[in-house]
Amino acid sequence: MLTTIKSELKPFEDLAHNFAVRELTANRKVNDSYPFGPFFDPVVARAYEAGLLGITVPEECSGAGQGIGALCVILDRISAVDASLSGIIFTNVLAQEIMLAAGGKDTLKDIMGQATDARSTLIAYPAFCNPGETQTRLDAVRTGGTYSLSGTIEYVVLGGMAGHALVPARIKGQDGYTFFLIDQGGKGLTKSEPIFSLGLHACPGVDLTLAGVEGRPVGKEGDGARCFDHASDRMHAAVAAIQCGIMKGAFQEALSYSQERFQGGREIINWSALRMLLGDMAVQAGIADMVVSGAAMAVDQQDPQWGLSARAAALHLSELACKLTTDGIQILGGNGYMKDYGQEKRFRDAKQVQALLGLFPLRKLGLVSAMAKGQ
Amino acid sequence: MISPEGSKSLPDRESRFDESLFSLQAMPKLPRGMLKETRKAVALAKKFNDEVVRPHALEIDRQTHADPEYLPWDLVKKANEWGFYTMFIPKLFGGQGFNMPASAYVVEELSSACVGIANVVFVHYLGVAGILASWNVSLANKIFREVVRGQKTGKPCIISLALTEPGAGTDVEENELIDRARLNCHAEKVKGGYIVNGSKIFISMGHVSEWCCLIAYSDLKKASENTVTFAVRTGTKGFTFGKHEDKMGQRACPASELIFEDCFIPDEYVLRDSRIREGFGTRPIADLIEQYIHFVVSVTRPAVGAFGTGVARGAYETALKFAGETEVDGKLLINHEWAQAMLAEMYKNVVIGRLSYTEANYANGLPGGIYNILQRKPVYYYQKYAPKFIFNYLISPLLDFEITQRIFRRLFVDSQSMEVQQRCSGWASLAKIVGTDMGVKNSQMAVELMGQAGLRHERGAEKFLRDSKLLQIYEGTNQLNRINLFNNLIGSSIPQARSFDE
Repeated sequence: MLTTIKSELKPFEDLAHNFAVRELTANRKVNDSYPFGPFFDPVVARAYEAGLLGITVPEECSGAGQGIGALCVILDRISAVDASLSGIIFTNVLAQEIMLAAGGKDTLKDIMGQATDARSTLIAYPAFCNPGETQTRLDAVRTGGTYSLSGTIEYVVLGGMAGHALVPARIKGQDGYTFFLIDQGGKGLTKSEPIFSLGLHACPGVDLTLAGVEGRPVGKEGDGARCFDHASDRMHAAVAAIQCGIMKGAFQEALSYSQERFQGGREIINWSALRMLLGDMAVQAGIADMVVSGAAMAVDQQDPQWGLSARAAALHLSELACKLTTDGIQILGGNGYMKDYGQEKRFRDAKQVQALLGLFPLRKLGLVSAMAKGQ
Repeated sequence: MISPEGSKSLPDRESRFDESLFSLQAMPKLPRGMLKETRKAVALAKKFNDEVVRPHALEIDRQTHADPEYLPWDLVKKANEWGFYTMFIPKLFGGQGFNMPASAYVVEELSSACVGIANVVFVHYLGVAGILASWNVSLANKIFREVVRGQKTGKPCIISLALTEPGAGTDVEENELIDRARLNCHAEKVKGGYIVNGSKIFISMGHVSEWCCLIAYSDLKKASENTVTFAVRTGTKGFTFGKHEDKMGQRACPASELIFEDCFIPDEYVLRDSRIREGFGTRPIADLIEQYIHFVVSVTRPAVGAFGTGVARGAYETALKFAGETEVDGKLLINHEWAQAMLAEMYKNVVIGRLSYTEANYANGLPGGIYNILQRKPVYYYQKYAPKFIFNYLISPLLDFEITQRIFRRLFVDSQSMEVQQRCSGWASLAKIVGTDMGVKNSQMAVELMGQAGLRHERGAEKFLRDSKLLQIYEGTNQLNRINLFNNLIGSSIPQARSFDE
């Protein structure tokens, strides 16, 4: 729908669709077997070559300079096939957005400019938490002109894999937190085994333990929460887009299956209770498309209360996606529960994506707080 | 069309007091010993959870991802050692003879730790129910006693039930649909037995079972009147295993493909051929087959409701523990009012699931229900306290006589009215829907409440979610169970109502 309203986004939609069909469809099950199978490095490398890892990065930083709308159409199309790559793109863009919000354009320019491959352009980030809510921040100590970071930080997506990691840390003696960029090849950094997660298996994360790791501050000291909130507001539209893609993929697979599978002598689509279930899914997927379009445009146009629109979109579509993907399995019956089909993965991925950007119930409460404050 | 008069009377017809409060009717007549015995059974399950299930559940689940061909031989051996495979086999057949409704509480207990492993233990009773409901007590006695010997010798002998086919899932659970189904498992009568060809899929514990209760059809186009139920031993010529399914959850319990290629099954292993109706009263053949299916699901669907309730409980307990030890926004999660409301909702879901399967089992215990006779006080206490040798050496040989078979059929098949069959089956569906929906719901809530910790395998919540989803599918999808509920508890009293007739 977004590409109907903003036709300039159509090339991005086509690019993402063709990429997903060509690179992701055939090996979805194998790619999802990580960490028990190989990581899909060649696919990520081709995503890098196709420009999918720097969509919203300003052109002066060697990115495509696009807005959230372009990011959303890409995530939507890719997620319809395999949301794991969307998780990678999302995490990277989230880190980039935080850096831009913190005024770290030059640092980002360095990273993008010096990158020689996909891994070196990626920035790891703990994408499933709001650093303001959790207890797992690192401690930063200033020694001379540099900062030394210590402690453990959980579930850093792309941790140990990307060239850099952006991590929140508390500077000793100060309130709030600050973001630091660390070199993942640096001394004093140890990583856990890959986290075995509910969904997005091919978007891996690790726990990082830092012992005196040198960190470069990004933005002003103690300004982390503001940077996160700004980036988070924008990236909620991207969460909505991933969920929208998952929903469309689940609906399409259910619709196709229901026209092929027989029960009681006819295609199951011709039994009205099942058709009603499909009807619910069709409505939800249709609504999702509209919600993402509205949210993405609100963000890009900086509409009044654009942040609230984006957050509401992500919260609503996350709930819808969890429901729709549950029904998506149900339509396929036993087959839907098997890894040979795409539905069980979408069920897991939707629930995983719901947790992006922090604790789901607190995000809902935060939305009301923001509204009450008139933000 | 329902006439205005008919519409008016609908509220009077439905949800009648006596039809929805089986506990009130059943409890005064139940032996007191059942309570103590149930507590004993649940205590054993708790101990098994502490010593076997909880220490290994996550590790085994992880192992199944690393090696999708994993088979739970060690778990089967453990469950066998602990006596779970004979626990609910009546003493008449050499088992321990715990009262059957207690099995649901044991199922809930085990499922609260790992529903995959709970299935490793309890899918066996799906096979037991399939054999028992044939009322071929001679063959049942032979197989069940082999299970008992398996416990004594340390060589597990467990039973699976094979019903679902590649082209027919829901269809094979409903006799009204089966003649329109795409069936393939054909049983051809030959001299001295049957030749079976075809395949079955999604058969829980197939690969590790010694016996399979196989449901095949002597006429694939008219299966509603031509169903043959067999007991087939693993290793029988022409019976092999195909694919081991790669499931999202419940991975400790394998789902197998069973392949039959010119598999000769002698007459002595026929549990029941629907065309042979001697000793089965006057019901039409199709109704008898339907009654067989309803007998099985009346027992197994409340059990699946208990699986769901157990998952709901496990997810709740995991979330509660997390909330009690994790700080969010500067204070313990458990002290956030929104979290308290979520935990209260999850607690409520567990209780509702438990009440539903309990009530369904009370329905099975009322006159005409499959549990009723064994729960009558004289029978219950005789079974409980009579020396084993009386069952093993005096009663057991009698089970081979045709007259004994007829007595059993008279007691269980003929004496069950259509109303009782509908009541038990309808409530079984209700319990299954409620328990399994609660299982999925609570698992989703646990993951939400725990945030990124809930996504991690080692924290357990995500496994509950993956495991729970299967419960809404097997033993008839919840969609089919809703139609079965309608058929048996609503439509049965409305002459105009038709199901599967769009």
